[in-house]
Amino acid sequence: MDAFWIIITGFLVASSTGMLGNLLLLRRMSMMGDALSHAVLPGIVIAYLISGSRASVPLFLGAIIMGVVTTLLIQFFSSKGKMQADAAMGTVFTFLFAVGVILVTKYAGEADIDADCVLHGEIAFVPLQTSSFLGLGVPTPVWTLLILLGLVQLVFWVGYKGWLLTSFNGEYAKSIGIKTAIWHYTLMAATSVATVVSFESVGAILVIAFLVVPAATAYLITDNLKRMTLYILAQGLVSAVLGYFLSEWVGGSISGSMAVASFLLFAASFVWSKKSNKGDHITKRAKPH
Amino acid sequence: MDLFLKYVTLQDPNVRYVALATLLLGGVSGAVGSFNFLRKKTLVGETVAHSMLPGVLIAFLLSGVKNPYVLITGAAISGWLSILLVDYITQQSKIKGDSALAIVLSSFFGFGIVLLTVIQSNYGGEQSGLDHYIFGNAAAMTPEDSTAFAWVSGLVLILVLSFYHSIKSVVFNLEYADAIGINVKFIDGLISFITILSISVGIKAVGIVMMSALLIIPPTAARFWTNRLVRLLLLSGFFGALAGWLGAFVSYSQVSMPTGPWTIVIISLIAFISMLFAPKRGVIYQRWSKLLLKRRINEENLLKTAVQNEVRGLGKLFNRRSISQRQFFEQRLWNRTVRRLRRKGLIKKVHTGFTLSTEGRSYGAEIDRRHKIWEIYLQRRMQMSINLVHDEAETMEHFLTPEIEAEILGELGLCSRFNPLLEIHELVPDNLVNPV
Repeated sequence: MDAFWIIITGFLVASSTGMLGNLLLLRRMSMMGDALSHAVLPGIVIAYLISGSRASVPLFLGAIIMGVVTTLLIQFFSSKGKMQADAAMGTVFTFLFAVGVILVTKYAGEADIDADCVLHGEIAFVPLQTSSFLGLGVPTPVWTLLILLGLVQLVFWVGYKGWLLTSFNGEYAKSIGIKTAIWHYTLMAATSVATVVSFESVGAILVIAFLVVPAATAYLITDNLKRMTLYILAQGLVSAVLGYFLSEWVGGSISGSMAVASFLLFAASFVWSKKSNKGDHITKRAKPH
Repeated sequence: MDLFLKYVTLQDPNVRYVALATLLLGGVSGAVGSFNFLRKKTLVGETVAHSMLPGVLIAFLLSGVKNPYVLITGAAISGWLSILLVDYITQQSKIKGDSALAIVLSSFFGFGIVLLTVIQSNYGGEQSGLDHYIFGNAAAMTPEDSTAFAWVSGLVLILVLSFYHSIKSVVFNLEYADAIGINVKFIDGLISFITILSISVGIKAVGIVMMSALLIIPPTAARFWTNRLVRLLLLSGFFGALAGWLGAFVSYSQVSMPTGPWTIVIISLIAFISMLFAPKRGVIYQRWSKLLLKRRINEENLLKTAVQNEVRGLGKLFNRRSISQRQFFEQRLWNRTVRRLRRKGLIKKVHTGFTLSTEGRSYGAEIDRRHKIWEIYLQRRMQMSINLVHDEAETMEHFLTPEIEAEILGELGLCSRFNPLLEIHELVPDNLVNPV
């Protein structure tokens, strides 16, 4: 049963972060997951210091607020401060992470908190905390992730047309009067929430992986946004299953194994797309001019 | 203060190596980071630094010992592989650079985590300390570490100096560099090599994130101060070294404060200060010059309109209403502009309104003249419709310099004292032309 819940958790994380990662990928902002995973640390520490407890809700709130602050800061530095976009991201998240580490060291004596445990949640612990539902012990993180998935789906499908326009052709969208900034901030807020919620149950590295790898896998196979989401879900499911058994086999971290499994699927689709592209290439060339 | 002196003069042997090492590390990574920064591949360092974890662990598994040279070699190899993979993915598919970086980062690091957990459960005490390659441990720096940093700094310096011109061409204009016969692949590899070199020696001291920050932030800060590559390299290296040195001081003077994070906080502060206060590129300078420009445009518009009203025979006296018929001014804007113009002595207050002073009149006439010269130019040379030229000239009149003006007049075959008194589109243009 533990295996089932762990796989379900992996799949839920993959499907909510993957949908958003899809949009991030098209906007060339895939490193956002990595940036957020580091930048939320001071938010968590400050929330902990204020609330004085390790209860999830305040820490969530702290992390989510810090996630939104991070995206605003990056935006501010690159547009108002004229920093190169990637440099703005790099500066902001490393700075915030450093502040977080300093806070952790400063209050390490009085607080049972360290960077390791905050950032590297482990999916193996998911089945440990359960609540009963219809006689079934359903782990609490599964509930949280289900709600998250619902929210992400809502944001994605309600704004589907907007996402389509702003992701594939931002300039065109702007020219027909769509407020691209609003879409940008919605996506950033959703990404912050999704990453933070997922961190606690599966750890940072798997979230970073699931934010980009399934989307990239799907993107290699198709350009159609609807089909992409379908492939992303499938990719996430297979990664979760494959990763779980991989970790059973080598006896290592489950999250890490799922990230590796996800990469293997990406590699497969990469090889496949190269093969099929090469075919196209040859036929195009063979045509007489 | 005493403590600071003791630190600066390196009297305390405990801190000597740490200070030197962080100084060198900051300097060399600041300079190296500049190349990646200019190629808009700033986050490469982040991916490489994460990707070194599996290399370190595999090196440990193969050798069975924690010899730093062996582990660093492993780190460098897997860092190198990660760069190759990123390049391969971006070149061979439609995946863009940022996604390739994130894919490689997460998969290498994920693999590293799997290896780490396997090692931790199978090896006893002999494996402890391997996680320093994730979080860093500056306090444990040994004299050998600073010697290693010194060697690396020297090597990077020699490489950069000997290939300086090729590197410069490649980071600024790849196609051009390729066209003039520079071996772009080699230079590309060289930049990757020095990046990997500095990360692999530094990562154990300051950790992954701090190492990539040392590559990202110093050039970002330095970029606000200069446009030239040499200065960017030197300044970036200087900022990095300064931050490393001060960071080590904080950790020396305060109990249990980590060196790496303080280095980053200090270098970030340098970057924020640069962003705000740097001349030319800084936020404050830009805001200020924008404000000055707006003010100047308003003043010039007012003077010009007053002159035009005089020429049209509407009298020398003007007020907000008479000006606003041609050039609208809000009450508050009017008050401010008038106050500044009076202070400059360009207009004078008379009982019911204002008049131009002699200087004000010639200034306004000059703007009016530029406006008309631009109108004529647009119409004659750019074949623009007479209905359109006015709006264009409304903007350009504020930006025409005497040099451009002279050039335009020359091109139009007009003498330099050419002075159209009335607006061009109210007369047949040819009537205005004074033949040379």
